[in-house]
Amino acid sequence: MDSLIPFTTSGSLVDCVDRKMLVVLRDGRKLHGVLRSYDQFANLVLEDTVERIYAGNTFAEKWCGLFLIRGENVVLLGEIDLDQEDDVPLRQVDYKQLDDYYRQDAAAKKQREEAKAKILYEQKGFCKEGGEGDGY
Amino acid sequence: MLPLSLLNAAQNKPMVRTLHNFLQERRNVNGHLVNCDNFMNITLREVYQTNADGDRFWKVKECYIRGSTIKYLRVPDALLDVVKEDQTRAREAGKGARGGTHVGGVGRGRGGARGGPPRGGRARGRGI
Repeated sequence: MDSLIPFTTSGSLVDCVDRKMLVVLRDGRKLHGVLRSYDQFANLVLEDTVERIYAGNTFAEKWCGLFLIRGENVVLLGEIDLDQEDDVPLRQVDYKQLDDYYRQDAAAKKQREEAKAKILYEQKGFCKEGGEGDGY
Repeated sequence: MLPLSLLNAAQNKPMVRTLHNFLQERRNVNGHLVNCDNFMNITLREVYQTNADGDRFWKVKECYIRGSTIKYLRVPDALLDVVKEDQTRAREAGKGARGGTHVGGVGRGRGGARGGPPRGGRARGRGI
């Protein structure tokens, strides 16, 4: 049966179906969920999805349910090792509690990147970069 | 069940929540899915739209979203089960019309044709 599926990038996703996966989106969202289906554009169907945010050495989860992700926004799709998942040295906290910290972190990072881009453009002779998701 | 056929099956079912990107601005759009196509273009009814920060709301009666601006769709959890049932029912109906054994035969035939060796052999024969 395996030989019928051509060895292409999307063909190799067959093994990942019905497994717990991590999806990183272009806007930086990290989604954990069970991959139920995909197609040639890497459109994904994730079931029992949670969105995770990280700040410092803590993380928090928000329940999101069934997701249909448009392929062009996917940066990374990775399988989660269920055995090692519990050994992650991070502390889980309440989502509401971490949300403010996370937003502050994100804002600070954005500011830093803007300052860096400005220096690169004005003093170092680099060209300007575009908007969101341009890094990919 | 491909992602887009799941969306197809979600037509006329309540509540699809979308996040899309319009002029670099993220918006949340919640509404009834009315229609969709293979480009993921969708039309929604009874729409609640929010801005990126989620502090302003607009109610819109109908809206159309171009598929390419969509980041993701959130659909009701129950949809997977509904779709599965619909599919089974459709398959049963198809079997009834064409006859059960015949369907099995077609499946096996297609599987054989897809295998490499027979196809390769024929091609070589034609070349000589």
